This record gives sequence, structure tokens and C-alpha cells, in this order.
Amino acid sequence: MDAFQGLMSGFQVAFSLQGILFVFIGVFVGTFIGMMPGLGPISAIAIMIPITYSMDPTVALVMMAGVYYGAIFGGSSSSILLNAPGVAGTVATAFDGYPMAQQGKAGKALAIAAIASFTGGTVSVILLMLFTPMLSAVAVSFGPAEYFALMFMGLTAISSLSEGSTIKAFISATLGFIVVTIGIDSQTGTSRFTFGNPNLLEGIDFLVIALGLFALAEVCTLVLNRKDDTMSNNKELGSLRISKQDMKEMRGPMTRQSLLGFIIGVLPGAGATIASFIAYITEKKMAKNPEEFGKGSIKGLAAPETANNAATGGAFVPLLSLGIPGSGTTAVLLGAFLVLGVQPGPLLIQDRPEVFWGIIASMYVGNIFLLILNLPLIPYIAKVLRIPRPMLISLVIIFSLIGVYAISFNTFDLYLLVAFGIIGFLMRMVSFPAAPFILAFILGGMMEQALRQTLTISNGSLSIFLDKPIALTLIGVSLLTILVPLFTSKRKLTEASPEKQKNIS
Amino acid sequence: MKKILGTAAAFMMLLTAGCSSQSSSGGNTSENGEWTPSQPIEITAPAGPGGGWDTTARMASQVFEQEKIIDKRLPVVNKAGGGGAIGWAYVAGKEGSPHHMFVGSPPLVLVPLNGQSEYGYDDFTPIANVIADYGAFVVKADAKWDNLNDLFEDMKKDPASVSVIGTSSPGSMDHMQFVKIAKAAGVDVTKIKYISDPDAGGLTAVLNGSVDVYTTGVAETIEQVRAGKIKVLGITSEERLEGEVLSDFPTAKEQGIDETFINWRGFFGPPNMDPAAVEYYEQKFKELNDSPAWDEIRKKYGWGELYMDSEEYSEFLKIEAEDMETLLEELGLARN
Repeated sequence: MDAFQGLMSGFQVAFSLQGILFVFIGVFVGTFIGMMPGLGPISAIAIMIPITYSMDPTVALVMMAGVYYGAIFGGSSSSILLNAPGVAGTVATAFDGYPMAQQGKAGKALAIAAIASFTGGTVSVILLMLFTPMLSAVAVSFGPAEYFALMFMGLTAISSLSEGSTIKAFISATLGFIVVTIGIDSQTGTSRFTFGNPNLLEGIDFLVIALGLFALAEVCTLVLNRKDDTMSNNKELGSLRISKQDMKEMRGPMTRQSLLGFIIGVLPGAGATIASFIAYITEKKMAKNPEEFGKGSIKGLAAPETANNAATGGAFVPLLSLGIPGSGTTAVLLGAFLVLGVQPGPLLIQDRPEVFWGIIASMYVGNIFLLILNLPLIPYIAKVLRIPRPMLISLVIIFSLIGVYAISFNTFDLYLLVAFGIIGFLMRMVSFPAAPFILAFILGGMMEQALRQTLTISNGSLSIFLDKPIALTLIGVSLLTILVPLFTSKRKLTEASPEKQKNIS
Repeated sequence: MKKILGTAAAFMMLLTAGCSSQSSSGGNTSENGEWTPSQPIEITAPAGPGGGWDTTARMASQVFEQEKIIDKRLPVVNKAGGGGAIGWAYVAGKEGSPHHMFVGSPPLVLVPLNGQSEYGYDDFTPIANVIADYGAFVVKADAKWDNLNDLFEDMKKDPASVSVIGTSSPGSMDHMQFVKIAKAAGVDVTKIKYISDPDAGGLTAVLNGSVDVYTTGVAETIEQVRAGKIKVLGITSEERLEGEVLSDFPTAKEQGIDETFINWRGFFGPPNMDPAAVEYYEQKFKELNDSPAWDEIRKKYGWGELYMDSEEYSEFLKIEAEDMETLLEELGLARN
């Protein structure tokens, strides 16, 4: 069996002293930069490329791959502890992770995140190993029409991300859609809403909005409630132990989201962020008690954490088997391959089996490293919460500023960050949820682009969606998820309490 | 954790400190008028890390330093945003400084013509061109067209029957290289159905049949051609390129379409750079261009060689800009 031999030779690389050392360095660096809000795997890998110039290509790539999935692994910490997502893929982690930490269960939240990440990562490596050649067909099966349908499905999440008023959630999402149109329109080359300011030409970076709406808004709330001592218990780390009951609750989301996250990761362009959001909403839809979501639900934490790590594994399918980068990070990783004289693509598995299988084998090792690196560190990482509040607030502000400045070394982005911090704070004051804003911002850009690409191809005819079975199915499912609750709730309405009516309207 | 945070903050401060090296004109001019740099030379990549501009800047800096062609440090800074406009504005602000330069390529001509940058190629001092890349037009392996003429015949009959995808937005490089060749073949270029996919989904869209033609760089096509997934109908170079697979790609020219498109890449100084300094750098870039270390890098990245000194470069850019302006005006995309 060729694949088996290949894998064995891959393990030989991964288990060599050099292999183990560099996988460790990779995941260690990855975890670290993932934890720092704003420092992303893109710049870390780009900086590493010249350093690895003279290294053995397999070892170098194994290390850089480690940085990539290590960053997603580590990104959960700052989401959970500070409500400051370290990387885009861990925004959804904050939805339930941060409330859990506030309830004094930070240790448990971090442990759940670590275990879910490990599961998602490991399952995706197994799938990667077994199915990569087959899945390369799946990776190219999505054209613009299918992407539009997928984003559309993601949008149905808006109503489930609302805490209370659905109307407010939709208003918030609309704002997100408006903000994402800022910048050069890719289909015509026209600049939109830039007011002649060249700093806005490339649009607003996702991180500016995430750190503004989440981290800075949170800081404002903390400052405002500084005399409020009822939240003092949030300094507690709490027990790390995950009970059998907790484990049972995690099992469902982890199994489902490992698979779903992996498949979304395989699609170029979708990636960890979208996987984590879709994971969050599917679990909320399936949960028996969806009202717990957003208030520290174990499922709501486990689902996105599993999915974003599974998606990271999935992203290696198009990269290795087609040479197609699915995200900014994999694009830089592709550049690293080329510099090292390895051309990813359909022939990689024949031409350079040691690289192909070496990376896959190293990901098993890397995921185990990440788990044993992260679990014992939890008590130390969580000590962040013991930092006196005035210090902590300053630290969050400093790190948000550094993180945003590191994107483009442009002070303009800092003003934007502060502006979005204020917007986020005002939204909180009048209880507009920030999550729909960020979801619409992430999906909106890709959705608009996909729709316009589709319509250009079809010369403006919408019937193109009817000709594409995948797109049609996805749109059908989305419509059902919107319509079915409307009908069922209408029936319930007759016997519902006035409070419920408020929720629906 | 506190400690880690502390070290990280210190590290970041170092990083940012390194990026804000002071600027001033100066340098040492000897009695016979020869100029030499007196401080580190900052190379701006007007984009984020990892792309073509950034790679060119970093590799040039590396070879200059390691081969001791220039005995000063050459730090690279990234000024991303506005498709280059942010970085250009930054270098334009260093007027007269002989210790600043940046990497430029066709967007330096195209972006200002599209009305998206205040500064264009003619605001800066061309130092030297070093690299040339070429465009390739790609279709799925089982597509009905076998050469550019087949494709352009169909497009002449009905331009809207064929969809073309590229990474950059309309009026920028991927689009213009296709338009330039198609126009020479007699296609009504105002009716070409061009789709932009900034997330680099062009190859995917051609492989799954959503779009017919993918316009991209030559190097990006090699692996898929070797795997038999796509075919290259034509490339935009003057003559066939050298190399395995590469030498099989027919040029547009040999198919009877008398037109070329060069994706040139070179270095520019701020406005009004001291001619003595330009002369110095010209010489150094020539040495870089002829060094074995640079040759190795060229091979590694699949870059072609195209050296032009400051004067040749200025002439070339002028013609290039006129060509592009005419085309953009015809497309209705010029905004000046």
C-alpha cells in the first residue's frame, strides 16, 4: 500500500530529532502569536521564510505549518480571558468562552477549548491523510454561485446571534454590511465610501473591528463598572476539571463539528472563521436549550473551537493537492513552499512524497504537543485574570493598539480602532449585539463579490442558481431555517407569554 | 504570563522602532563627485509581507548585504494599503532623500490612471529595473479552444460568450494584459466579461468550469499544466521562455498577434533624488543583476531577467504609460 508506506516515511521525518524539534518550535511560536491579539500567523510565516532558506524543505514546512495551526489553537486564550480575539478564527470562541471566564470558570473554559481544539485538529489530520486525493475534487467544486449560497446560509445565523431583540440583531448586521462595502470595489475598481482617503482604499481590516467592538468595548464597560464588586469572582481560575457530564455534552458538538469544520476548511476562501460561525449556529439550532448559548454554554464553546481547528487541517487539502491557497495565511505558506523549491499541486504526492506525508505526520505530533503544551499552561495563562483590574484594562488597550498597528504599520488604523471601540460601547449601552455586525462584515464582502461574479457570468440572470445543485440545496436549507421557525412560532404565539412575543417581533 | 507579555511588548517596540528609521538627505560626496550612502537604506514594499513586492524587496536587500555589494544595511519596511498608494505616498514624502527607495511594477502606472493614487511613476526617480514576468492565458484542459486565435475568433463573434477571470480588479494588471493582447487580435475589448477574484479563486473557477479563461502570471500555471488539468493558450512575452514546461508555452506573437505585455519590476527613489546617488545605485543594481546569488533567486522564484538603467527605464515607463492610458480610456476606466 503506497499511502501507508508514504505515511511511514512521513512519520520517519516527523519523529526524527530534527523533525520533533522543529514541530515543537513551530507550534510553540504559533501558540504564542495566536494568544497575542493582532499578531497573526501571516506575518510570523512571512518573517520565517528567509530564515528557513537553507533548511531541509520538509523540516522547514513542518515548522511553518505548525505556526499556522498552533496560532488557531492558541488564539482561543485571549478570546476567553479578555474578550479580545487573537485571530479571526476565534471570534466565535468569545461568545461563550468569555461569559464562562466571567463566571469564574476560566480554567474549565480553557481546558474545554484545548480539548476541542485537539479533537478538531486530530480528526482533520486523519481525514486529510485518508481523503486528500479524493477531496481535491470537492475543493474545486465550489464556484461563485455555490459560495454565494454558502455565505447566505451563514447569514441565517444572524437571528440566532441575537440576545433578545431580533430587530436589533438585523440592524447591527446591516451596519456590518455597510461597513464592509468601504474600499475599492473588486468588480469595477471603483472606490466606495472612501471620501478620498487612501487609507480606506483597501477597506477596513477585520481585526480593527473585532478588537474595537469586542475588546475595547469590554474595556469601556469594565471602566464604567469599576466600583461594581459583584463580578469579583471572575478573578477565580476555577477548577480545570471537566466532569463526565461536561464531557458528554461536548461529545456531540466535537464529533459533528470536526467533520463539518473540515469540509468547510477544504473549500478555498471559506476557512476557519466561517467554519467557527457555522459550527456555532448549527449547534445552537440543534441544542435542547439554545437559550444557554451566549451565557457560557459548554457546547457553544466546544463547537467553534473544534471547527476552527478542523478547518485549519482542511485548508491543507487545496493547498497540498491543488496548489490553491484558501486564505491569506495559506497563500503565504504557498509562497514558502515555492521558495523552498517544493511546488504544491496535483503532482506533489508523486514528486515529493516525503514532504506531503511529512507534513501530515507532523500534524499528529504537533497536535499532541499543543495539547501537552497548553493544558499545563492553563493555570499560568489564566493568571492574567489576577492582574489588578486597572493594569489589565491598560494591558488590553495596549495590546489592541499594538495588534492593529502591526497589521499595516499605519496610524490611521488606530483611529479607526478607537472609533469602533466607541461604536461598540454605544451599541452595548443600548443593547445592540455586536456579533451580527461582525458576522455580516465577514460574510458580506465575500457574499457580495460572489453574487456579482455569478451574475456577470450568467449575464445577469438569476436562473443560474437553479442550474447548480449545490447552490440550490444550500439556499433551500437556508430558506427552511428561516421559514420553519416562523411557522412554528406562529402556532406557539397563541399560547405564548407576552415576553416571547417580544422576542419574535 | 506577565513576563511573556513583557518580552512581547519589548519585542514589538523593537520592531516598530526598526521601522521608523529617520530620514534625511545626505550621504557622502567625494571630491570627484562620487556619492556613497552614509546611513542604512530603507526599501519600502508598498504591500504586506509575502507578496511579489515584498519578496523582491527582501531578496534584493539580502543579496546586497550578503554579497557585500553595498556595505550599509538595507532594512525592508512594509507600507500596505490602497493597492500601493499608501507606500507611494510615504516615499513621496521623503523627497530628495538618497536613502529611501521602493519596489515598483505595472500597478505604479495603472493605479494612478484608475484615479486611486495621488502619486504615479512620473513623481518618482526610476533607479533600475531588474525583473520581468509575463502573463499567461489559461483554460481548462478539455476546453474547446486550443490556441489564442480559436479563443479570439469566438470572442470576436460574441465577446460576452466568454468569461475571463483574474485576481486584480478591472483596469489593473491581470485585466489589462488580457485586454492588450485581445485588442491586438481584433476583439471588441469594451465588451469583454471580466470577473475579479481578489481571493485568488481564479484557478478554482476555471477548473470547475464556472469561468472560461484565467489570466495570470506564467509561473502560477506550470504545476497545473504538468498535471494535465489546464492548458496555456498563450503567453505575453516576446519570445518563448526557457525551462521545462515553460518552453512549451506559445507566445501570442508567434500566433500572429503582434503584442506583448511585460510585468516589469524595479526600484524607484523619492522625487528629485540626487543624480549622483542614482548613478551609484544604478551601478549597484547592475552588480546585483549580474551576481550568481541573484541568478539563483531568480530561478527559485521563476523571475525573468530584465535590467534597465535609470534612463532606459524612464523611456520605457513613458511608452508603457501611454499605451495603458489609451487602453484604459477605451475601456472607460481612466479617471484623470
